[in-house]
Amino acid sequence: MNNEDSSTAMLVVLRHAPHGSSWLREGLDVALVGAAFGQTVNLLFLGEGVQALMKDQQKGPLGQKGTHPTLDMLAMYDIDTLLVDADSLAQRGLTEADLQLPVTLITTSQLPFLFTQYAPVFNF
Amino acid sequence: MSAKTATARCLRVGDREIALDPEGYLVDLSDWTPAVAEAMASEEGRVLTFEHWEVIEVLRDFYARFEMAPAMRPLVKAVGQALGPEKGRSLHLMTLFPESPAKVGARLAGLPKPTNCL
Amino acid sequence: MQLHLLNRSVASSHVYQDALRAMGDDDYLLLIEDGVYGAVAPLHEHFASIPGRLYALREDLASRGLEGRCAEQVIVVDMEGFVQLTEKTERSVSWF
Repeated sequence: MNNEDSSTAMLVVLRHAPHGSSWLREGLDVALVGAAFGQTVNLLFLGEGVQALMKDQQKGPLGQKGTHPTLDMLAMYDIDTLLVDADSLAQRGLTEADLQLPVTLITTSQLPFLFTQYAPVFNF
Repeated sequence: MSAKTATARCLRVGDREIALDPEGYLVDLSDWTPAVAEAMASEEGRVLTFEHWEVIEVLRDFYARFEMAPAMRPLVKAVGQALGPEKGRSLHLMTLFPESPAKVGARLAGLPKPTNCL
Repeated sequence: MQLHLLNRSVASSHVYQDALRAMGDDDYLLLIEDGVYGAVAPLHEHFASIPGRLYALREDLASRGLEGRCAEQVIVVDMEGFVQLTEKTERSVSWF
């Protein structure tokens, strides 16, 4: 929708897996609120956070909602830039083909620079 | 996540009593029928036209896909995708659902209150 | 220049690896809360890649009985030093 450079965008770093804690959902909520208020929001999936993108997720055993429908919804909030740490994927034996959405892979050497490119960084 | 909110009052629809929370949203989302939407609207002095129903359909479809009620930005986008760019505009939605299209629309469509908008 | 805050022990959480990978060449890392367990040898060796830029908060070391047990490569700061670090850096990034 808008192609502002990342210096005016916010970065939300997602580092926790779905289901086990509420960190992932809280990070996604912050991203959605930012986008709802017109901010450009980019997401970075790092460490266990890459598990959020796994294909074929379902509700929890007691019917608890997952976060995968929310990931599918991101495009409706114009959150289209999904950055994924390539090493985090590789360490878990995953490739892009295992993910439910198209992503942009980031190498470890790009990470420090990435963090300096955004005014606000929200780490979850 | 689907913890039920408290019932503040009931709305009579035909021979059913429909529980509403303090802000007028359904306590049990499965209570929704078009008649419930009509009853909610008429209570607020709103008349639902074909154009309102189109948007209500978009809202219900959005919730079925994503399990969340949309804020304004994604609602505009969803309406645009479903009904065309002419209708996918804030002005159109503001005309149909004055005050707050995302909130009023969600209420009439039997969705929970959108959480990520003011 | 950024200040990274780590509040988990290297012995119980791998999050320090993510923090280190996200750190730029002039960034600082401050160990706080359970993070200070990583300031004691040999655990401090996990931070060998950031010589001179590893800090630990005195108050959190003291409450855990670790004050004086820190590896010499770790710079110990008190709350005031913490505040000075935040003033010196553009922003803080928390790792938990």
